[in-house]
Amino acid sequence: MSEFSSLTEAVIKGDIQTAVAETQSALDAGSNVQDILDKGLIAAMDEVGEKFSTGQMFVPQMLRSAKTMQECMKLIKALFQEGQLRAKGKIVIGTVRQDLHDIGKNLVAMMMEGAGFSITDLGVDVSPKDFTQKAQEVGADIVAMSALLSTTMPAMRETIEALQEAGIRDKVKVMIGGAPVTENFASEIKADSYAPDAGSAVIAAKKLLGIT
Amino acid sequence: MERSEIPTFQPRLRVLNREQALAIHTAALEILEKTGFKMEHPRALEMLADKGCRISDGDWVRMPPHLVEEALKTAPKQISLYDQKGAKAMDLTGENSFYGTGSDATFTQDVETGERRRAVLKDVSNFATLVDGLENIDFAMSMANPEDAPIDDIYVYVFAEMLRNTNKPIVFIADSGRDIAKIHEIACSVVGGEEELKRKPFILNYSEAISPLLFPENVMEKLIFCAQKKIPLCLPSGSNAGGGAPVTLAGAMALGIAENLAGLVVHQLAGKGSPFLFGPNVSAMDMKSSVVCYGCPEWSLTQAALADMRDEIYGLPIWAFAGASDAKIMDAQAGAEAMFSILTALLSRANLIHDVGFLEYGSTSSLEMITMANELIAMSRFYVQGIPVNDGTLALEAIERVGRGGPGSIFLMDDHTYDHFMEALFLPKLLDRSRYDAWENEGAMDLYKRCNMEAKRILSEHEVDTKPDAVLKEIEQILKSS
Repeated sequence: MSEFSSLTEAVIKGDIQTAVAETQSALDAGSNVQDILDKGLIAAMDEVGEKFSTGQMFVPQMLRSAKTMQECMKLIKALFQEGQLRAKGKIVIGTVRQDLHDIGKNLVAMMMEGAGFSITDLGVDVSPKDFTQKAQEVGADIVAMSALLSTTMPAMRETIEALQEAGIRDKVKVMIGGAPVTENFASEIKADSYAPDAGSAVIAAKKLLGIT
Repeated sequence: MERSEIPTFQPRLRVLNREQALAIHTAALEILEKTGFKMEHPRALEMLADKGCRISDGDWVRMPPHLVEEALKTAPKQISLYDQKGAKAMDLTGENSFYGTGSDATFTQDVETGERRRAVLKDVSNFATLVDGLENIDFAMSMANPEDAPIDDIYVYVFAEMLRNTNKPIVFIADSGRDIAKIHEIACSVVGGEEELKRKPFILNYSEAISPLLFPENVMEKLIFCAQKKIPLCLPSGSNAGGGAPVTLAGAMALGIAENLAGLVVHQLAGKGSPFLFGPNVSAMDMKSSVVCYGCPEWSLTQAALADMRDEIYGLPIWAFAGASDAKIMDAQAGAEAMFSILTALLSRANLIHDVGFLEYGSTSSLEMITMANELIAMSRFYVQGIPVNDGTLALEAIERVGRGGPGSIFLMDDHTYDHFMEALFLPKLLDRSRYDAWENEGAMDLYKRCNMEAKRILSEHEVDTKPDAVLKEIEQILKSS
């Protein structure tokens, strides 16, 4: 960890300029790229996640750290061969059909990305078919759905059914969230996990994939 | 010589000066003209294009300011809501304020067990009954998103449930043009037809655009339906500081007002002169939990500011909130936050004030919270009456009588006290002022417990005037046809 401590510190502070410069100098010094990612960037975001969940950091600060990490990723992503980059897992995320409210979903996606997951964000009003196709296409580990309106919640069940019909339900975990969504509803529609907020969504995703 | 009558100053809050109000209004117009908004309803888009809006990227609209000015001219400055028996109940204009409940809470705090649980249809009927029985709660909203109602017609079911349990005006939610038509049909059957409902509306629709700058098709279906049927409507987008809108309150208000005014323009084009309630919801997003706050000072502040903008610029009756909290149970935080917004709403003369009785940032409803708010509203109304100053209230004769009355002469015994104490003082029902021993002997109950008992008493004793069988049957039939 000490090797990348100034990078880690810059990411935690959300100092984009310094973090990018630190990433570049680590690359110039010949550091292992996977190490920069794991021990520098993701280690920083783990600490950010910890600080955020214990109330020592505010949402905009946490998001600035995530943005800082993304900027650093731009430098190192190019250096990975296709498929070599070890993400924690692949997540396909979106708001369900007919739901156009995406602030919460965007927050979850940013935090997941910060935690080292590879995110495919399908945006809003995502049909069961689109969720399923994209999950198949990218080989998703998790399909994450959000709904703000109770009237759009049935689309979560339909999406799970679509995953079933496509024969990939046993290959992906399903997470759901959003204001009207409850733990009971999650078990009723046989989702694998429910999270009440973005911070817990990250923890739940890690748990689903057995990552500590 | 007789004293001439002295007008009573009634405490009044202002939080914006004219320059501030105009600057926010100008910013809102600039957002509409320069940035624009996304209009996903084809017919609304067409109407806007016909009126000279510039359309790009298919459904992105930029609106010239004069359209807003025209809409403000044609929208009525006064909206009257009636109760379900046809008596005028809420004259939404000028300085009149009315409080009511909120909508769509996922959970409720069970009145028997105190547990937070998923809301069901029976809760909707309990809330409506309580509203019907509380003197300071003027209108009903569903307070629940019941688990046991068919999801496709959830709003039709909660509407019918409210009708069966209150005769006060109802502010209702719908999903789209489909279910709002059913709700309208039911409302017509209650008052005996569409014309009668137009003449004496007892319903008002609550719809929301999505901040920033998005007008979904289903929302505009409802808005156009209301404009055509003359159903009063409000369209507060959730331009919450830091969430749907910039974190600074002026910007959040400008955005919310822009969205509101864009809605107003479409509304007036679809039904010139139809009633539209001004006002976005401008709360703040909590920077730790990312919840939209219901007990924060920001929302009360923007609410008061919007009332100032009504006075300075818009002249339309305004939509507001009060009596809600972010606390998870009805505790001291809930009391403090509820009182803060209830008093602010009244001091700034907000007209239609909803969300009374919410806990947990609007996710949990509480019968006790409404019961408490009923008393806090009474307290606030007393306060806002101000201090009438006249011969009777100066009471110099009483002072003379008691002052010179010799030993044993006290004001408590004087006729002036006997004649005036009921209106001169605020007489609480639930707020406890008993002496310690009495309080202890009565069971040492806190306000939550007393509100719980009062809510249960009202639910068991209050009789809601039932509607004619024919009306109830018709409601059933419309529900069955769903």
